[in-house]
Amino acid sequence: MVIRTVDLRSDTVTLPTKTMRAAMAGAEVDDDVLGFDPTASCLEAEMAKITGKEAALFVPSGTMGNLISVLVHCDVRGSEAILGDKCHIHLYENGGIATIGGVHPRPVKNNEDGTMDIGLVEAAIRDPQGEQFYPTTRLICLENTHANSGGKCLSVEYTDRVGELAKKYGLKLHIDGARIFNAETALGVPVGRLVRAADSASVCLSKGLGAPVGSVIVGSARFIAKARVLRKTLGGGMRQIGILCAAGLIALQENVGKLEQDHRKAKALAEGIAQIKGLKIDVASVETNIMYFDIEEGSNMTALKLRKKLEEHGILIMFDNSSRVRLVMHHQISEGDVQYTISCLKNAMAGLPEENGI
Amino acid sequence: MQFFILCVQRFEPVRMVIRTVDLRSDTVTLPTKAMRAAMASAEVDDDVLGFDPTATLLEAEMAKITGKEAALFVPSGTMANLISVLVHCNVRGSEVILGDNCHIHIYENGGIATIGGVHPRPVRNNEDGTMDIGLIEAAIRDPGGEIVYPTTRLICLENTHANSGGKCLSVEYTDRVGELAKKHGLKLHIDGARIFNAATALRVPVDRLIRAADTVSVCLSKGLGAPVGSVIVGSASFIAKARILRKTLGGGMRQIGILCAAGLIALQENAGKLEQDHKNAKALAEGINQIKGLKVDVTSVETNFIYFDIEEGSNMTALKLSKKLEEYGILIMFENSSRVRLVTHHQISAGDVQYTISCLKNAMAGLPEENGV
Repeated sequence: MVIRTVDLRSDTVTLPTKTMRAAMAGAEVDDDVLGFDPTASCLEAEMAKITGKEAALFVPSGTMGNLISVLVHCDVRGSEAILGDKCHIHLYENGGIATIGGVHPRPVKNNEDGTMDIGLVEAAIRDPQGEQFYPTTRLICLENTHANSGGKCLSVEYTDRVGELAKKYGLKLHIDGARIFNAETALGVPVGRLVRAADSASVCLSKGLGAPVGSVIVGSARFIAKARVLRKTLGGGMRQIGILCAAGLIALQENVGKLEQDHRKAKALAEGIAQIKGLKIDVASVETNIMYFDIEEGSNMTALKLRKKLEEHGILIMFDNSSRVRLVMHHQISEGDVQYTISCLKNAMAGLPEENGI
Repeated sequence: MQFFILCVQRFEPVRMVIRTVDLRSDTVTLPTKAMRAAMASAEVDDDVLGFDPTATLLEAEMAKITGKEAALFVPSGTMANLISVLVHCNVRGSEVILGDNCHIHIYENGGIATIGGVHPRPVRNNEDGTMDIGLIEAAIRDPGGEIVYPTTRLICLENTHANSGGKCLSVEYTDRVGELAKKHGLKLHIDGARIFNAATALRVPVDRLIRAADTVSVCLSKGLGAPVGSVIVGSASFIAKARILRKTLGGGMRQIGILCAAGLIALQENAGKLEQDHKNAKALAEGINQIKGLKVDVTSVETNFIYFDIEEGSNMTALKLSKKLEEYGILIMFENSSRVRLVTHHQISAGDVQYTISCLKNAMAGLPEENGV
């Protein structure tokens, strides 16, 4: 009921474009469970090619992409997966790897740049000698870009080092690459190179790439064959999915190239926010399309109040806690929207009686 | 009762066959023009951060039609059943009573156990898709034995019952099972993938048919012809939990109005076509019954399913028959070497039925007969 002008809550809010709608309406489809949907097959082949993996599988969501990946890598009961203590799988996927999959999570501290110290990762790997008491470590998960640290990119060097560690111990490596194309864009490193060390990756089409629904898991042909069965088991075996995959193909063709602009807009927004009295932001830490800013103490503003004020202006945001706000850029936010947002934030902060006459 | 594996020929990309008549399942229905138009122009929004308006419309419509408080769109019937069983049985150590020949038990990868930790207690399915009420009651665990027993929390029915040939469970039977459930403090879930076929064949409105159930899963992607999806219906508090479990399983999709728009068209346009599907199935069964070497119990064809047998001594196998029919552009599924399943849907015409009968006749006629019979 809000006249939405500027939706900065997430890049998942992107609406399908005209070309997507046309592609969806004209998509060639078939029953992807009894056989193979031709458009899904196209999309999956394209994703495999782009990521340099043998095969790919379309799934309804990033959550399912990660859930399937962890569960297939950890298909033996008594498995443990090492992952960041602030990663999406650990915080925002309903604990599914454990509650649904019976996999034990072993969280390791995420640094502010989204990495985990290699030494701490290695220390977390269970010594098989202790198997009487220990679960068996089978998997390490990385997240690139790392959402909770502000859309930070994991470098190809770091990823390769974690991959080497995994190989040394006979473990698998999965990358939650929901926003891997943002990482590719910011780092100037092709996705295929970026995920080379990984056995599998999950990539979202429905975020910055703008498709209405879906993610894709990529990996070896054997892995994907198992993933397909688990997808069915979890209830993700949909029928004429070419409709959704057609939009996914458009997303890959048309919107990957727009991510650079999203990053520039995010930077401009961050710079504008840095000028506003009462708000604080580390502009240098804005690497991709996600930013966090803080409401300074003594400003007499809360995140909740700010969100309500912005909503009156048609701007939607999400906040982390009472003083920390997150903004996410996407291709349906224009430069004009960025300036508008900065003005509205300025007004919102300026219209406050100042504490202690400062 | 023996269990059969439906043989699906995945090794050949089926779309290279000039497909004229696809009788493998009612899931093969392709979206209609009206659906494609509706999908292209659907109003959408992020159904996870908020609510997709078209999904909300579809869910409200389904709740109304089924007489339940609320509804939830999900990617598949498998997920609908999985969510329903897991929400009803959300306490560890739960057991669910279900038919030994039901879809949940046979064709859903054992997910309620492997994914959900719920123990299945299969009870013999009769040929009409029911389970004897006495056997169900006997299968309910006595709480006095809890030191060694799981706790029964749920009974599941399937209507129409696929493996028995698309048989309808009557409203009287459903009500009796509902009473039994209530008597023992259990929930009742109906796998109503094809509940609209049952409602059509029985001439009982869907909401009356399922009134005794706490929850029902209903497929849009089968006979109703939508490209994707099912809907779970139940109480508001159940659906709220179902929504979370849907997210947990990975079924939380974003701008799903696209799929839901097709679902709305399916409800409006195709529920009324099921009667014709049943007539086509009957005609097909009658035609098959005339063919030497094939046998079908025509009276057992209640909805859109047909099982027929290849008679011994006919020198034909189901595999051979399926290959011959494929040459004619007809696709079928077979259960074992002598039992074939056919499923009609709104994209099978009366003409297709006649064509199929002719081709079957030709296929069976072109055989040398054994022993000069």
